[in-house]
Amino acid sequence: MTAVQAALSGALIGGLYALMAAGLSVTWGTLRVINLAHFGLILVGAYLSYQLTSAWGIDPMLTLLVSAPVLFVVGAALQWAYDRFNIVEFNSLLVSFGLLMIIIEVSTQVWTADFRHIDAGANPYGTSALHLGPIALPVSRLVALGFALLLIGGGHLVLERTFAGRGLRAFAQDRTVAASFGIDHRRLGLVVGGLAGVSAAVAGMVFALGNTIAPAHAYEWFGTVFAVVILGGIGNLLGSLFAGLGVGAFSALVAVLWDPSYEPFVLFLAIILALVLRPQGLFTRRGLA
Amino acid sequence: MLEVRGLDARYGDAQALWDVALDVGAAETVCIVGPNGAGKTTLVQTIAGLHRAAAGTITVEGVDVAALPGHRVCDHGVATVPEGRRVFGHMSVRDNLLLGAYRRPARAVHRETEARVYELFPRLKERATQQAGSLSGGEQQMLALGRALMALPRLLLLDEPSLGLAPVIVDEVFDAIAAVNATGVSVLLVEQDVERALSAASRGYLLIEGRIVASGTTTELRESADVRERVLGM
Repeated sequence: MTAVQAALSGALIGGLYALMAAGLSVTWGTLRVINLAHFGLILVGAYLSYQLTSAWGIDPMLTLLVSAPVLFVVGAALQWAYDRFNIVEFNSLLVSFGLLMIIIEVSTQVWTADFRHIDAGANPYGTSALHLGPIALPVSRLVALGFALLLIGGGHLVLERTFAGRGLRAFAQDRTVAASFGIDHRRLGLVVGGLAGVSAAVAGMVFALGNTIAPAHAYEWFGTVFAVVILGGIGNLLGSLFAGLGVGAFSALVAVLWDPSYEPFVLFLAIILALVLRPQGLFTRRGLA
Repeated sequence: MLEVRGLDARYGDAQALWDVALDVGAAETVCIVGPNGAGKTTLVQTIAGLHRAAAGTITVEGVDVAALPGHRVCDHGVATVPEGRRVFGHMSVRDNLLLGAYRRPARAVHRETEARVYELFPRLKERATQQAGSLSGGEQQMLALGRALMALPRLLLLDEPSLGLAPVIVDEVFDAIAAVNATGVSVLLVEQDVERALSAASRGYLLIEGRIVASGTTTELRESADVRERVLGM
């Protein structure tokens, strides 16, 4: 029973990983920028939700009305800057890591390095759980999964069914030919960067619902979220959802059945194995999906 | 329709085209023949806006498009079937076609255009849901042509449509090109298969080492000593 409980609540955390990974994966897959600053945007999203909830006493989810537009603009501006200064896959790692450190330092100045959390009175999702017989599912994690399904499912439909989505997929495969059919990479970059910013706002809000926030968290997300992006297939939205759930469940099982301290070791060993066996990612249907 | 004057193109320090001038009239099929490495693909890419012209003008229906960014040239009715087809292999056949209709005017009538493309290439309809990468070379060439037609072009640029295809498939592709041309679309055809190019076009240009060295009706070109020696090898 503990194993089932662990796997389920782990998979629910995986919803959060998937939310964090989705934006990173799509900007990497289409715009060829590995935007580590994305973790900084998630951190800022979490702080914004915390700050606005504390200041106005509103439901944390409503803070998205402010944080999502703000991070849309920040995400779009970042992408504009990457494009303007010709930053591509290779140098983007370095540049965006620098940006991430700047964001973390600024956050530390504003919110200090202390742990912050949304006041329990203002957070109806923080401590409650849904009980299914002997299994308890924390509401904050159900919210994470719900947003992951909504955002990633919606994004997938847009990619599959709309002219803009097809344009983006075509652009990811062959920029030159896509341009010859009228696809403007600058405008596309702004929209995709902005939407990645929105996903960061959502991921940050969801994180703030169930966790305390500190600037150093942005570094901690790195490993797991990268693993989810790679396993899901770079640029593959549905893949990042499945990989997120899988990685979450797997990590929780290792922690419960073996030892929590082995979790990273076993997880990354499994990822290396997976990449050796399926270098294109576990869930990839090849290309953007 | 298309008027190119004084066109130079370069890759860094290496110049690929020198002072190229050519015309394609309304509803005309014009071919460019020449040996490997003559700059034929560079010429198509430069006209399509995918490679920036170093000098000269490219006038499409009276508008100079030479300085436009690549994604704006198609606004003037230019569509390209690139060398090697370059279909979007990870997308379905239908999505490839719909991508061709990305621009708003084409988007508005994409259903009608799609039906016409399927009429021209019934094979594409059968394979509509299949991944483009799984098609045979000939089917991919049809898809690349269909994708270009979805953009409602008035000038179609075709780069080596016969490349790597079996002769019977090439016949089919050239029949389709003739059918498209018959609907009033101007065609600029770049082709290594000189015989095919000359029979498909009414006029042609001989491009050698980045320069136009001969031009005329296809009958004149067939008889030109340059063409016979340098590309037909006779």
